[in-house]
Amino acid sequence: MPVERMGRVSRGLRLAFALSSVIFLAVLAISPVKDLRREWKRYKRDYIRFAQTRPDTKRLLADYRPDIDQIWLPEMGVVDRCTTCHQGISQPSLAGASVPQPFRAHPPIPHRVQEWGCVVCHRGQGPATEVAEAHETTLAWEQPILPLHFIQGTCGSCHRDDLSETPQLNRGRQLIDQLNCAGCHRLQGIDRAVMLGPDLTNIGTKVTRAWIYKWLKEPRTIADADGNVSVNGVETGEETRMPKFRLTEPELRALSAYLSTQHATPIEAVKFDPRVIATWSKRPDVVDQGEIRFRQMFCSTCHSLAVTRAGETKLVGGDIGPELTKVGSKVKPEWLPAWLRDPQAYLPHSKMPRYGWSDEDLFKVTQYIQAKLTDSDLLNDVPQLGAPTADEIKTGKRLFFDKGCASCHLVEGLGTQKDFGPDLSGLGAKNVSQLEFGTSTIPRNLISYIQAKITDPLSVNPAARMPQYNLPPTDLDAVTTALLAMTGTPATSGIEKLIVPKHQPEFHPVGEFGKVYERYKCYVCHQFNGFGGTLAPDLSYEGSRTSRAWLVDFLKNPQTLRPTLILRMPQFNMSDHEASVIADYFEMVLQHPDVNSASFERSEFTPQMAVLGKELYEIKYQCQACHTVGASGGYVGPSLNNAGNWLTPAWIEAWLRNPQSLVPGTIEPHRAFTDVEVKALTAYLLTLRGAPGAGVSHASAGGQE
Amino acid sequence: MTRRLLMLALLLLTSLGFCACKKQPGAVAAQPLRNSYDSEVDWNDSTRVIPLSYQAAQGKRIFYQYCVWCHADATPAGPSNRSNLNPMPPLANDGAVLNSLSDDFLRNTIMLGGSAVGKSALMPPWGQTLKHDDIEAVITFYRAIAQPPYESPARSGPNLR
Repeated sequence: MPVERMGRVSRGLRLAFALSSVIFLAVLAISPVKDLRREWKRYKRDYIRFAQTRPDTKRLLADYRPDIDQIWLPEMGVVDRCTTCHQGISQPSLAGASVPQPFRAHPPIPHRVQEWGCVVCHRGQGPATEVAEAHETTLAWEQPILPLHFIQGTCGSCHRDDLSETPQLNRGRQLIDQLNCAGCHRLQGIDRAVMLGPDLTNIGTKVTRAWIYKWLKEPRTIADADGNVSVNGVETGEETRMPKFRLTEPELRALSAYLSTQHATPIEAVKFDPRVIATWSKRPDVVDQGEIRFRQMFCSTCHSLAVTRAGETKLVGGDIGPELTKVGSKVKPEWLPAWLRDPQAYLPHSKMPRYGWSDEDLFKVTQYIQAKLTDSDLLNDVPQLGAPTADEIKTGKRLFFDKGCASCHLVEGLGTQKDFGPDLSGLGAKNVSQLEFGTSTIPRNLISYIQAKITDPLSVNPAARMPQYNLPPTDLDAVTTALLAMTGTPATSGIEKLIVPKHQPEFHPVGEFGKVYERYKCYVCHQFNGFGGTLAPDLSYEGSRTSRAWLVDFLKNPQTLRPTLILRMPQFNMSDHEASVIADYFEMVLQHPDVNSASFERSEFTPQMAVLGKELYEIKYQCQACHTVGASGGYVGPSLNNAGNWLTPAWIEAWLRNPQSLVPGTIEPHRAFTDVEVKALTAYLLTLRGAPGAGVSHASAGGQE
Repeated sequence: MTRRLLMLALLLLTSLGFCACKKQPGAVAAQPLRNSYDSEVDWNDSTRVIPLSYQAAQGKRIFYQYCVWCHADATPAGPSNRSNLNPMPPLANDGAVLNSLSDDFLRNTIMLGGSAVGKSALMPPWGQTLKHDDIEAVITFYRAIAQPPYESPARSGPNLR
């Protein structure tokens, strides 16, 4: 290159430099421009403009910052930037559907949104700052926002105890417990029960091989013309506790052969008094009499029967025990009376009370069940099985384990099989990439996965051993919600102290009362100090509430319940001794600390007070809206016709002052009575002494149906 | 020339890449019931299901515990107590009666009882039994299930009757 040309730049090169500088500048500008155009900044700017259209602009913009807003919950491992765009989330004036999203205020909930943020409940991606990434599933972010319909699932991650605000979650947990999911799966907050499915040690003494075959093939025996059963208008599989296993013909033969040979202890046939048989077996009305007795004993409190009206089949009755519509075609004739007389001799964990039967009643009811609760076509489609062969029995025993039967059912000589299915205690926190969808075409998210797995396990995994459950849609959603709540052991120890643990009280008294309590299974329907069923009133403070004489009378003859209740207390044919053991125990132990019956003398209530009380009852407070006295009044609360004999004065007074302090959640309104009014109303109620056993109402005084 | 073309191409590519940075948010399918906390079947039309917010769902729970016995024709325990009462209480979804009543009036009636607002004493006061939030929730539930539907008055002040 000549010297004079050195340092001189050609035009072309200069142009190239100029162009590249421009490009360089432009490239440099990309970053700030991109930053300015970020989605969240647009929402920030929009919010200012929106706030200026509102009358309370100043308040709406008081906390405004142009940056990303963030809520950090270190103990939960949550970074939540949702309030960056959802800026009006805790502004009460922005409530209602007329306010455009994302500025609308959150509807009132028990938690403060400014403290907890959004993702704790709604899921989604807290740290994301773009609409799609925050709300939906993208490649990098796997947790989409939970549909609102399932949001109670996240409540359950921390609240392991049931909340009244989350009925769907509570129902789901109850179903998971009832359906014995814990037999095969490890679950969070639901323990393995002592008895899952029935003990099959003696199943050969109870049912025939043909019936076992039928049951294993199709565990639904009731169907209307369309093959459906509905309860309260909702289609259901009756006996949902036993799911449907997809068994082949040889498997059905083998399992039915194996099970029908299970008779470890022979049953002791009931020896009826020959005079009873002689009298009753000839009477044409024995079945009708048996039916009457069946009804009088309130078997339907726990057991349901199918009723077909206008082509629609409905189950009527309780669901504590199994449905009994065709039980007469199921069980062997010699087994039935032995079971009824002493259920625990066959099944030690049974919830069935041991009734005090007379031979006559037992004979009549057995005759009724075997004559009427039958279906002659039940076993029609079962092939001729013949006697079980040694080969079939051997295969059956192997299948009993391979199919997971041993997870729920006990057979003599075989231990229970635990953790047969996968551990589900952390299912609710699973990412989509951790789930196996197979060839299924369902949407790729956790909710559709769970629902497919329950309703049709083969659709997501052709090798699934999981049986098929036939749940109505509402129950399916409830179970899904409860499974979503099982997010496993918290990753950080700090979260442990935030978790509200499940409260599981137990109440098992000992001594004489303990025996009667176990015999009649009082706790299956009644609550005692937080333990027991919710079907019947809470008896924790029954000793304070009722007078002893009334209680003994009621236990002996509990037919006197209010007319609107369908579920009633069975008549157990209790002996005088048993009734007095119960009454003594109630009087001594089941006392409310604030109700002191010793401080009352019935004589302190004068007739003048009762006159005033009657006026208050009828005119000022109009208690007849809910209670019946004489023949008129409402039937929301119990009838008060026998209140004077039934209730203690101390209880009436304490109840009038504050009903919820005695029975939390009772629907009797808490009213502001003066002392004089309380005394007057008590005096009046004590004068109400209808004949015992006539129109006396007891149930739901505790506020629970 | 080729260099210039190359530069242009580079510039084009950069701008193209820049455009690609913008993402389209996917459309969220409209499923009203899947996006509601709870729902209630319309009392007058069993084919219609009304979505309920969290607050209305809590109101539904309170309603079915305390109010249903006198303010509905079907109750969880069977027959309703409504026909026993004179005057007969309004149905909770009766928009023809309740829509014209303000939230404040309903709140007062529930808290203080019928006699405090010049109505029948058969309606007891619930102010000491139910929490303030419970009462608000019940009113929200009533508004949600009203037939004909309830329309909230736009920004009206307290309207005490």
